[in-house]
Amino acid sequence: MNKILEIRNLSKSYGRRGYQTWVLRDISLDIFQGDFIAVMGPSGAGKTTLLNMLSTLDKPSRGEILLDGENIVEMKNKELSQVRRDKIGFIFQEYNLLDNMTLQDNIALPLSLNGVKTGEILKRVREIAATFGLESHLEKYPYQLSGGQKQRGASARALITNPRILFADEPTGALDSKSGRDLLCCLKGANEAGKATIVMVTHDPYCASYAKQVYFLKDGRIQCCLNRQESRKKFYDEIMTVLASMGGDQE
Amino acid sequence: MSLFSLAVSNFKRSVREFSMLVLSLAFSVFIFFNFQNVIYSRAMDVLLEFRKDLIDSVIQAASIVFVVFLFFFIWYATNVFLNQRKKEIGIYIFMGLDNRRISRMYALESAMVGLFALLSGLLLGLLFSKLFQMLLLKLSEISVDVEFSFSLPPVLNTAGMFVIIYGLMILKGCWTLKNSSVLNLLSGAKQKEIGKENKILTVLRIGAGTAALILGYLAALDTEGYQALIRMIQAVVLVILGVYLLYSGLIPAILRVLTKSKNFLYRKERTLWVNNLAFRIRKNYRTYAMVTILMICSVTVIALSIALKQRYDKAANFDRVYTCQVLNYDGTLAGEEILQGIQKENPVEYWNEYTLLSLPSELFHTKYDQVMYVLVPYSQVKEGAKRADLDFPYKELKDNQVVDLFHEILFSMAEVSENDSVEIGEKTYEELDITTTPYLGKIQTYAEMYMVSDKTWEELKNQGTEIYVYNYRLKNPENINASKSYLNNLTKDGMTGVSYTEDTLNEDSYIRVTYSLCLFMFVTLMLAAGSIIFLKIGNENYEDAQRYEILEKIGVSRKALGKAVRNEICFAYYCPFLLMTVTSYFSVKALGNIMREDLIRVNFWSALFVLILFTFICGLSVRRAKRKIFALKKER
Repeated sequence: MNKILEIRNLSKSYGRRGYQTWVLRDISLDIFQGDFIAVMGPSGAGKTTLLNMLSTLDKPSRGEILLDGENIVEMKNKELSQVRRDKIGFIFQEYNLLDNMTLQDNIALPLSLNGVKTGEILKRVREIAATFGLESHLEKYPYQLSGGQKQRGASARALITNPRILFADEPTGALDSKSGRDLLCCLKGANEAGKATIVMVTHDPYCASYAKQVYFLKDGRIQCCLNRQESRKKFYDEIMTVLASMGGDQE
Repeated sequence: MSLFSLAVSNFKRSVREFSMLVLSLAFSVFIFFNFQNVIYSRAMDVLLEFRKDLIDSVIQAASIVFVVFLFFFIWYATNVFLNQRKKEIGIYIFMGLDNRRISRMYALESAMVGLFALLSGLLLGLLFSKLFQMLLLKLSEISVDVEFSFSLPPVLNTAGMFVIIYGLMILKGCWTLKNSSVLNLLSGAKQKEIGKENKILTVLRIGAGTAALILGYLAALDTEGYQALIRMIQAVVLVILGVYLLYSGLIPAILRVLTKSKNFLYRKERTLWVNNLAFRIRKNYRTYAMVTILMICSVTVIALSIALKQRYDKAANFDRVYTCQVLNYDGTLAGEEILQGIQKENPVEYWNEYTLLSLPSELFHTKYDQVMYVLVPYSQVKEGAKRADLDFPYKELKDNQVVDLFHEILFSMAEVSENDSVEIGEKTYEELDITTTPYLGKIQTYAEMYMVSDKTWEELKNQGTEIYVYNYRLKNPENINASKSYLNNLTKDGMTGVSYTEDTLNEDSYIRVTYSLCLFMFVTLMLAAGSIIFLKIGNENYEDAQRYEILEKIGVSRKALGKAVRNEICFAYYCPFLLMTVTSYFSVKALGNIMREDLIRVNFWSALFVLILFTFICGLSVRRAKRKIFALKKER
């Protein structure tokens, strides 16, 4: 299988020398095409820090992150922008749709900034809007949409460029259970259709149960990893068992 | 914490946070004070011999224009201040303060901001008053010594004006707060709803706006006759209305069309900035309209200043052809004799003499019966022009031809006669030309004067009175005082008068002061227009920082973001500039009509000057915005 992301001995600390706090310690991980990985862990475990570094928003103190064989840790700002634009997609907890443009323009944004022809943009927007059930909302502004619609819109925007990998930071964190479920079904569908490799940070076991693999972080280290074998319901129970055995407060 | 101490602590923070507002208010006070000071300060009494009464009237008129402008400026600045505070005020309501107490707190801290701005403006005004007066006089080419002096009336006038306008704005703010809902306050300046388009209203606005502008332009161009003043006021009102309606109708409609045309929108960074402009236009159109109007005023004012300067220089050159002119009614004087008298003290560069024929106005069949009508024979003008080295392009006049010896005018709303003939008595004469060559110097300014053939002059001689004019130009005109005792002696017979050029030039100082004032007004208006856009953009940067942070996260390069920021800011500066350019064509043309001069070049240069200045301020704005947006992101 095609390896997309290779993480080697990743560590991150904050504070000055001598007064450092290590948030992540020696994380090594490989992510392949078609993976759907969830990262779980208690508050302060380093989940978001890990995601920020994988998605180029933050730099590690030590270690390497190879995206398609290229070390993104050593890249300059301009190259990083290009990587973010061409290879990475993001879904944030707080949707992050731009409130000054319609949903259609929001979804089309990455393509229009990449210089794709208008006809092609409109075709792809229609396709992806259909995947996420947003066809009838394209002319609306974000303030006219529900939380679930906004998050599906943000997901459509993240996937429209066919990124190599999609990062999602607590994507259902601000949604009600029905909207959360709809979104996860859409993401799962996209993953299964071979359209998306997904890395998702979540504190919600239900949300994590949609993934194929769940990594558990604690005190900056990977404690264990679960692979989904059977039904989602069974996988959910397994996740709950691991969480119970790890103890500590859930975020 | 009492309401007062809360207000004090807010004020302390406000001074830092809203330094731009304090600065703008203090600047308004500073400018207004300086204008008032010119009128009341004893230091300017030295101008008495320069017709200070006229200068004062000009400054008083300028002050009125300033009050109107300051009203809008203070209104805008306080609105921005209030909008920035709304969210915080909403939180106070959550904490249990009622709207009444909150509006009292707002009034208290606004009053402190105002007081601080007033005091610092007055202090700065006092400190720089001498410099301002010196600059004004220097620009007006009046060389007198100015001393520092303090007088109370300008301080009281300025404080009164400021307290009234600012007080009104505080009351308006309190009223708004009292009647605002918590939700409204919490959403603060951030107006999320772009608003549904009401097509009928938009069409009405565009139609009414275009009609108002066209009518305004037409009214501006109607500059002849008694109705001209009323037309001018109509033009001002209609243009302001038109600009306002166009910004509320046409510009949003254009932006909406642009956002709907995806072929246009999805190119380059347009989706970022065009969407942003369209989203904000409902909130911003008033600002754009205000800036456009300020810019129209500033271009008209600078055009007026340049035109006045040009016209004054021409008029001064016109007057300077002769240093002194002797008028005699009984023919007892001889030009040669006077020449010798003057030459005892002053060498004369050239001199000439004319015999004018003053005719009663009835002969000219005109309604202007208070005007003096004078004829000069062709041969004398030809000889006089030769001696004074003036251009004289006329061949011998026929007996039915005249040349109108006109003068340089400052303003005139009189109807321009389209006649190319003049009736004198029963006979009609062909008007060959109208010339402003000063063959008879400034006497040409005071009388309606025609050059006629020698024969015609002789024929009409019996119907009028002869006046003998002797004109002298000294080699050193500044030394005229040395000859004054001799010349003034000539006037003792009661039939002779002497006129000196320097007196006229001093009397016309008010024109020079006017153009200097116009320059100051231009600078002030431009600064105001610039700072309003500056305030607006600064305000929006906070909102945008969040948006740009998202964009950068999803991989939009800083270069692309920078371009979007630049284009959006450029729109804020150049859109008003564009409408200003169209409108100023008409306002300057109207000005040209009453100054009887083609000011198109002046219009071009002043617009170009504004363009350069705005481009510079725009560049600063872009730099500042980028720094602010990207720096804010770093802080997070």
